[in-house]
Amino acid sequence: MNRRLSGPGAWILYFITALLMVFILAPLAVVVAMSVSDSYFVSFPPQGFTLKWYGKILQDRDFLAALQLSGLLAFSTTMGSLLLGIPAAIALTRGRFPGQDLLKGLVLSPLIFPALVTGLALMQLLSAMGSGDARINLLIGHIVVTSPYVIRAVVTSLLLVDYNLEDAARTLGANRLKTFWRITLPQIAPGVAAGALFAFMVSFDNYPVTMWLANSEYSPVPLVLMRQLVNVFDPSVPAMSTVIIILAVVGVLILERLVGLRRAAAM
Amino acid sequence: MNSAEVRLQALSKHYHRVAAVDDVSLTIEPGSMVALLGPSGCGKTTCLRMIAGLVSPSSGDILVNSERITRVPVHKRNIGMLFQNYALFPHMTVSENIAFGLDMRGIGKADAVKRVGHALDLVRLADFGGRFPSQLSGGQQQRVALARALVIEPAVLLLDEPLGALDKGLRESMQVELRALQRRLGVTTVMVTHDQDEALTMADRIVVMRDGRLEQVGTATEIYQRPASKFVATFLGASNLFNGTVERRNGGETLVTTGAGLSLSVDGVAADARDVVVSVRPEAVVVNRLNGSSPPQNVPNTIVAEIEQVIYRGFISHYYLKLQDGQELIAYQQNQTRDVAAAYAQGEKVIVRWDRSSNHVIAKD
Repeated sequence: MNRRLSGPGAWILYFITALLMVFILAPLAVVVAMSVSDSYFVSFPPQGFTLKWYGKILQDRDFLAALQLSGLLAFSTTMGSLLLGIPAAIALTRGRFPGQDLLKGLVLSPLIFPALVTGLALMQLLSAMGSGDARINLLIGHIVVTSPYVIRAVVTSLLLVDYNLEDAARTLGANRLKTFWRITLPQIAPGVAAGALFAFMVSFDNYPVTMWLANSEYSPVPLVLMRQLVNVFDPSVPAMSTVIIILAVVGVLILERLVGLRRAAAM
Repeated sequence: MNSAEVRLQALSKHYHRVAAVDDVSLTIEPGSMVALLGPSGCGKTTCLRMIAGLVSPSSGDILVNSERITRVPVHKRNIGMLFQNYALFPHMTVSENIAFGLDMRGIGKADAVKRVGHALDLVRLADFGGRFPSQLSGGQQQRVALARALVIEPAVLLLDEPLGALDKGLRESMQVELRALQRRLGVTTVMVTHDQDEALTMADRIVVMRDGRLEQVGTATEIYQRPASKFVATFLGASNLFNGTVERRNGGETLVTTGAGLSLSVDGVAADARDVVVSVRPEAVVVNRLNGSSPPQNVPNTIVAEIEQVIYRGFISHYYLKLQDGQELIAYQQNQTRDVAAAYAQGEKVIVRWDRSSNHVIAKD
C-alpha cells in the first residue's frame, strides 16, 4: 500500500494531479486577485494593489450582520445535523428493521434532489405550518440539506468500527450510552469531524435553499453577496468571497489539527 | 476468586424459525473449563453469546449459581469475555484497556491502578502498560485482552475462539499458559472452538455440538475413546467405521461381520441389535507384511488389505489402505526404522489387525 510511485507513470500522474490543482485553485486565485484591485470595477488582472475593499466590507453593516448570521446559522446547523445524523447513522448501520435500505436511500435523497426544489418545497411547507421566523426556517432548511452529509460520513466510519469492541465494552460493564461515549464515538471521530465540516461549509455558502427561506431582515452571506453583485459589482464582492475562502481554509486546518485531514478525507 | 456454577436449561435460539441452538441443557461445574466444540454453524458461538447476554434466548434459562440471569442485561452480568480478534480498544493504552471494566464498576483510582498492575503481572506484561494495542504482537494483545477480562473478577470467563488468530507455535504455548492460569484462578470457563486439539488440550469437559444440539458431553478421553455417534467419531480425530451385522453372541462377546468378510469381536452390543456400526481408531490398526504366508481365515479383527498410499509424517506414517470390497481404511503407525515406510509398494497386499479392545460400537448415527 505504501509503495512509492516511480517511472514515467509517476510523472504522468504528477502532471495530471498538478493540472487538477490548477483547475480547482485558479478561479479562487482570480477572486483573491480581484479583491485587491485598485479600481472601482472588478477587473482581472488587477490594477494596482489596495486593501481598501476589505476596509470597506468590514464597515459594511449588512455584510457584518450577514457574516454573523451565517456563522451562527452554520454552527447551529452543524450541531443540529450532528444531533440528528449520528443517531440516524447508528440506526442505519447497527439496527435491523424493515425498510432499512429504503430509508438509507431516502436519507441521502437531499443530495440527489435539486436543492432548489427542496428549498421551494420547504418554503411551502413551513409557511403552511405558519412558521414565520426566518431564522428557524433557515435552520430547518439547512439541517435538511446538511444532515445527509453527516449521515454519510458517520455511516462510513461506523462500518469500519469492529462491533466486537462494543460487545467487549458491554461485557466489561458499560451500558449502551457509556459504550457509545467511551468506545464508539472516539472510533468514529474522524467521520463525525468530516461530516461536521461539510455541514458547516454547505450551510455557510448554501444559496438555493437559503434563497427561498430568508427574508429582508435575515439574509445570510450568499444572499448579501448576490445582492451586492447585482447592485454594484465593485471589488468588495471578491473581497467578501475571499473572506469566505479564508474561513474555509481555517476550518480545514482546524480539522487537520483535531483529527488529521487524511483520516477525515478517508471517510 | 469464587467459582460459579453455570447451568443452561433447555436453552434455544431461533432466527426466523431456524433453530441456531436447540434445547441445550448443560451444567458446568464450578471452576472447570468446558469447551463447546463443533463445525461452524453448529450453534456453539450463539450459545456462548447467550451466556454473555449479547444474544437473548428464544426460550430456556441460564443460571449462574442457581440465580436466573436470562433477562439480566450484559453489562450487569459480571462476565469476562475474550473475543477472537481480541477487541482491544485501539484508542486506549494497555493500562486504560484493562482499567475500563474497573472504571465502569466505579472502583477508585488508587485501587484500580493496583489491580491493573496485578493483572499485568498475571499475564507477564508488566512493562507494557503505556503502550497502545497496535504496538503489540498478536500474542501480547491476546494477553492484554485476558487481563482485561480477568481484572473484573468475573463469575464466568468466556472464550470465543480465543487463539484462532495466532500462528501454530504460539497457539500451542498459549493453550498451555491459558489452561494453567485458569486452573490457578479457578474461574469457571466456557470456550468455543472448532479446533479439536485445542479442546482436547484445554478442557476438562468437551461438549460436541451439531446443528444446534448437544451431540456428546464428556471428558477428552471419553469423547475420543467412546464416541457416541459417527459424527463425533469422525469430527474428533479420524475413525475407521465398519457397518456390520451381528453374527453370533457368546456371553458378553459378540461377533460382527462386515461386507468385506471381516469379523469383529466386540463388547457392549444391545441385546436386540442386528446392524451395528463399529469404529476403530487409525492408531490402533497394525500393518504387517504378508511375507508370502497365506492370509489368515476367520481370525477376528484381522484382514488382508491393499496399500493405496503411505504418507511419511516424521515420527508416524499414515497408511491409506483398501479392503477387498472397496472400503477404505486408515492406519497410523509409529516409524520404527528409517526405511519401513518406503519399503511398502503401492498395491502391495498386507495384513492389518488390531486389538479387540479397540473396537467401539457406536450407539447412534
